Amino acid sequence: MLRFLKAFGLFTAAALGTAALPALAAGDLLVAPTRVILDGSRGTEVVLNNIGSEPATYRISLEIKRMTAEGGLDEIAEEDVTAAERAALDMIAFSPRRVTLPPNQPQVVRVGVRLPEGTPPGEYRAHMLFRAVPDAAPATAELKPASEGVSIALTPIYGITIPVIVRVGELGAEASIGDAWVSETRDGPAFNFDLARIGNRSVYGDIEVSRPGVAEPLLVARGIAVYPEVGARRVSLRVPGELAAKLKGPVRIRYSEDREIGGGTIDEAERVVK
Amino acid sequence: MRYFGMKRALAGAAIAALAMNASAAHAASATGTATAKILRQITLTKTSDLQYATIISGATASTVAVSTAGAATCGAGLTCTGTTTAGSYNVQGTNGAVVLVGGDSSVTLNGSLGGTMSSTLTYSSPNITLGTTGGSFQVGGTLSVGANQASGDYSGTFNVTANYQ
Repeated sequence: MLRFLKAFGLFTAAALGTAALPALAAGDLLVAPTRVILDGSRGTEVVLNNIGSEPATYRISLEIKRMTAEGGLDEIAEEDVTAAERAALDMIAFSPRRVTLPPNQPQVVRVGVRLPEGTPPGEYRAHMLFRAVPDAAPATAELKPASEGVSIALTPIYGITIPVIVRVGELGAEASIGDAWVSETRDGPAFNFDLARIGNRSVYGDIEVSRPGVAEPLLVARGIAVYPEVGARRVSLRVPGELAAKLKGPVRIRYSEDREIGGGTIDEAERVVK
Repeated sequence: MRYFGMKRALAGAAIAALAMNASAAHAASATGTATAKILRQITLTKTSDLQYATIISGATASTVAVSTAGAATCGAGLTCTGTTTAGSYNVQGTNGAVVLVGGDSSVTLNGSLGGTMSSTLTYSSPNITLGTTGGSFQVGGTLSVGANQASGDYSGTFNVTANYQ
C-alpha cells in the first residue's frame, strides 16, 4: 500500500504536469465533478485545481440561472430570484469561498445542505461558479503612453459553473423527444430537436442519434438537461457540414440517463430529419 | 487525522486519474484497498485575449469590430494599427459533453486620462460539444469609438463562463 501510494505520488505529479502543459494563462482552472446532486443531509466535495502557470486567487459563489426555451442558461440577478430560488441559495452551504492556489494545487470545496424545517418537496438548484479574481491592477505602467491613440486592455474574468441540485421528497419526471431538423446558423450547421418534460424535477442524460441498421452512432451528446422551469427546450448542436448532410433522413434518437446511474432509456424516437 | 491525510491523497489521485483518463482509473482500482472515486472534470484555459490593438480616433464617431475569427474591420475615419485577435478559450472534459458557453454581452472601458468607451461582445457559439481533444470557443466584439475620443489606455473587465447543465 505504501509503495503504491509512493508510486502514485510520483504519478500524480507527472499527470498534473501533463495536464498543465497547454495552460499558460493565470486563472486557468479545473473543476470536478461537473454536476452535484444532494438528496438528504449528506454533503459532498468538489475539487478545484489551479492548472495555470501562476498562483491565482479563485472565488467560489452560488448563482441562479434559468433555462431558456432555446436551451441556454440565463443568469438571474439576486434581486430577481423567486422564493424557491432564494431557498436554494440559502440551503446550500459551501466552504471555502475564496482560495489562493499555487499552480497544480487542488483544493477541496465542501458542499452541504441545510434544509429548513418544513421545506416543501421539490427540486432546488443553484449553479456554483468558480472563477479567478484578476490581478489587482492591469499594470498601467507596462502599457506605453499612447499620445495620439487609444490602446485597449480587456481583461476577461473567466470561470466554470456546475449545477448543485437538492432534491426534497419523492420527485419524478419524464421527457419526450419532439421534431428533429438540421438548420443553418450564424456559426454553421446545427442538428436540432425539441425535448419536452413533465413532472416535478429535471431530467438529465445523454443523446445518441443513430441511423437504423448502422451500429456506429452518428452523433453523441452527453449531459443534456431539461430543468423544471421549462416544460420544453430546444437542443441545438453545432455539427460539421458533412455530418449535417448525413443526419438528414431517418434516424433514431435515444435520450438515456447518465451512465453513472445505469444509462436507462428516458425516451426513444424515430424521426425523419429535414 | 490520519484518515484525513489519506483522503487528501485520494483527492490528488482522483485528479491524476482524471488527467490521464482510463489508465489511471485502472491503476486506482487495482489496489482494492482504497475507495478512489473517479470524478468527471472540466477545465477552462484562456488561449488568447480579445485585442483591438491601437486605434487613432477621427472627427466622427465610428466602430472597430473584431470577429470571433479575429478579423478586424476598422470603421470609416479611424486608423487602426497592430494585430487584433479574438479571445479564445479551450475547454476539456468528458468526450461528447455539451458545455454551454457565454458571458457579458457588453463591457465598459475606462480611459487612463478620462473618458469611457463601450464594446459589445459576441460569442462564436452558445454551446460546444467536446471531442476527444476538448473544444474551444471565441469572443469577438465591436468597439464604439467616440468622435475625437480622448487618448489614453482604456481598460475594462468582462465575465466569460463555461457552464455544465
